[in-house]
Amino acid sequence: MKIIEKLSRLDRRIVYLVLAAAVLLPLVIPSVQKVRVMTPVAKLFKAVDATPDDRIIILDFDYDPQTLPEIEPMGIALLRHAFKRKIKVAVLSLYVQPLGLAKKALDQVTEEFNGRAESREDSIIYGRDYVFLGWQPPPIVPLLGMGISITNVYTRDYYGLRTDSLPLMLKVKNFNDVGILVSLSGSTAPLYWVSYSQTRFGVAVGAGITAVSASEFYQYYQTGQFSGLMIGMKGAAEYEELVESNLLLKDRRKASEALGSLTAAHLTMIAFIVIGNVGYFIRRRRERRQP
Amino acid sequence: MKRRFPLMLVFILGILGIMPYFVPHGGYQNFDNALRNDFIRILSAFAIILGLVSLMRVHHDKIRRKRENWQYSYVLIIGFVVSGVIGLLGGIKGEMFLPTNVAGFHFDIQTLYLNIIVPLGSTMFALLAFFMASASYRAFRARSVESSLLLSAAFVIMIGVLPLADRISTHLPSFAQWIMDIPNVAAKRGITFGIALGGIATSLKIILGIERSWLGGKE
Repeated sequence: MKIIEKLSRLDRRIVYLVLAAAVLLPLVIPSVQKVRVMTPVAKLFKAVDATPDDRIIILDFDYDPQTLPEIEPMGIALLRHAFKRKIKVAVLSLYVQPLGLAKKALDQVTEEFNGRAESREDSIIYGRDYVFLGWQPPPIVPLLGMGISITNVYTRDYYGLRTDSLPLMLKVKNFNDVGILVSLSGSTAPLYWVSYSQTRFGVAVGAGITAVSASEFYQYYQTGQFSGLMIGMKGAAEYEELVESNLLLKDRRKASEALGSLTAAHLTMIAFIVIGNVGYFIRRRRERRQP
Repeated sequence: MKRRFPLMLVFILGILGIMPYFVPHGGYQNFDNALRNDFIRILSAFAIILGLVSLMRVHHDKIRRKRENWQYSYVLIIGFVVSGVIGLLGGIKGEMFLPTNVAGFHFDIQTLYLNIIVPLGSTMFALLAFFMASASYRAFRARSVESSLLLSAAFVIMIGVLPLADRISTHLPSFAQWIMDIPNVAAKRGITFGIALGGIATSLKIILGIERSWLGGKE
């Protein structure tokens, strides 16, 4: 009893230390964890996969450094999926901060594909296979303006090139030429695409979100307003699993590797909550017994 | 006029914002598109300049009057000037006038962003896990039926999202998914309806000039 009572009154620095060890140790020797793919992720994969040849997908990179570990693997898995299937991609951000992270993800995946390309046809070429539209403030302008004309909203891309001169954008006018728009965000940006762009122009929207914000999005998924969802690190790992098993791509799977750390962290927190509660009940029983 | 003009402006622009949803006529849609694409963008550009000038003035004032934590304002101003100069003159990867690669040392805007902002942002957010662990260890107690239900649901979700859940029981991930799909959605939808109705009522009050607190000052 005394041990449990002592455990339930641990100094917070010990809690920090135990949690740090639980998070770090599985990252020292990363190993890919197998996951069961749940319906929201399977639906998103299917929706992206079903993009017709004459349409593109839009990836909205709207996560910041705070949510990078959870959401970046989603963006990378989506880019791998699109490039492997030869689906054309337009990348953008509603806010300025994610631009650097979008560029980082694009650079990584294009290097992966171009590193093993044997011909120009196999390569991923800027302007032909993908464009980086950048940022256009305020967010309401792209949210509604892209339903009329994408090149009018983004007259120049991230690198300062005229978008109407890029071969890919010659075939793309507005949301009618978009198969699906996937918004990757740690905030409520995916809801804006549903509220403004989908309501007005009917574009299909998918989302990659943090686990902590997931409860906000389920109601829109249930009504079919989101074609699919990727939720947190596990959602990203599920998409990586689908990309590897369906497209036979054997690249590094960061989300699947991080699941060991996530498991250890969750179990540690559950253990602390249980210990805290056991100690609480012991103390409460003793206080009731005392006259 | 000082109060009437902003009220008129809000009324006109508010109605113009609602109309395109009810008037599908091509001409009106084009007008709405021009209004949104050009007018709002120009306004937004001015707002950015106004915001930056205001930010600099606030921090300059803070340093001049040596207000609490005034030293940190230097960090902000130096960061603003350095990143502004490098970004405007150096471009994304030093492709403009300012060389951002000196003897193999890169200081272009993308390198600065990836090596300063990203680690700082990630570190701040990572600290949250430790505070959450400590707080839930101290405060998350099954004191009542409601808190016990919350605790049980939290355990199911926390374990249900792990790869381990399948090894415990194949029903566990499905049960976690059910909690998110049904009880969670039921509660969230009720809250969303409430927020939406409240939002519509407040917006109408502002557009019609009934709610005027945003103007500041006394009625």
